[in-house]
Amino acid sequence: MSRCAMQFKITSRLHVLRAERRMTQEQLAREIGVTRATIAAIERGDYNPSLELAFRLARFFDRDIEAIFSVEEGEQ
Amino acid sequence: MKRYDSVLLRVFLWGIPAIAVLAFSASQGDWTSADPAGWLHLLNRGFGIILALWMGLSLFLSLRMILSEPLRDAVLTRLTFIRERDEREALLTGRATKATFLMSLAILILLFGLSAIQVSVYRVPPERAIHGKTGMVTMGVGFCLLDQAERKISGTVVPRQDIFSYAGLPLSSSAVILILIAVQILFYNISVRRLIR
Repeated sequence: MSRCAMQFKITSRLHVLRAERRMTQEQLAREIGVTRATIAAIERGDYNPSLELAFRLARFFDRDIEAIFSVEEGEQ
Repeated sequence: MKRYDSVLLRVFLWGIPAIAVLAFSASQGDWTSADPAGWLHLLNRGFGIILALWMGLSLFLSLRMILSEPLRDAVLTRLTFIRERDEREALLTGRATKATFLMSLAILILLFGLSAIQVSVYRVPPERAIHGKTGMVTMGVGFCLLDQAERKISGTVVPRQDIFSYAGLPLSSSAVILILIAVQILFYNISVRRLIR
């Protein structure tokens, strides 16, 4: 199977980084400019953010994108 | 949304309770038999002009909604409770809209089928029996571009006793359109809630 046909599962460390800063989902959402439900969905792994939102989060936490989001590969 | 669209929309919305009050007061008495020179007749005339202007405005705004995207967005997103506060909600709105579109299409196909078919089950007198059988079933498919005043089932010259007869949807076109609007709004909201959960 080619690597392109692999399925990616994106996991985030957003809840860890948020906890380090002692922020609520609501506060982070307000800072980033999204709804609290979106932050909650990203943390649960129910929603993969767009590149733009991922960069906004990375910039806010002053990290690389890969320090927030990691990819697990699995077969389709 | 352009400024005059906004002003006209407000006039239309504020006009709804005014029209309701006028309709209620008009139903309270026989204004048509009022003295032509009297104030009641003048008032009735005034109300008629207001109603005509409001109806004209509602038609104009309906047309503007088709032509103007900002007006359409401003009015219909509120009417259908569409919320796109961030990219996730925009994505969910897109998915729910697709589901709603496909559901509406499925309903329209069903309605088209129901409006086109004609089925009739009936009995004919014994002298008209075919191979000794008096029970008959006729089926047909019809399509008319324009509404007919009265639907007719083909082959009704034989005297017969109808058991079951179906010749297209019994609903009026206005009722079908209203049902479709309601179904669209309802199904969209159900889809969004299911996706958000």
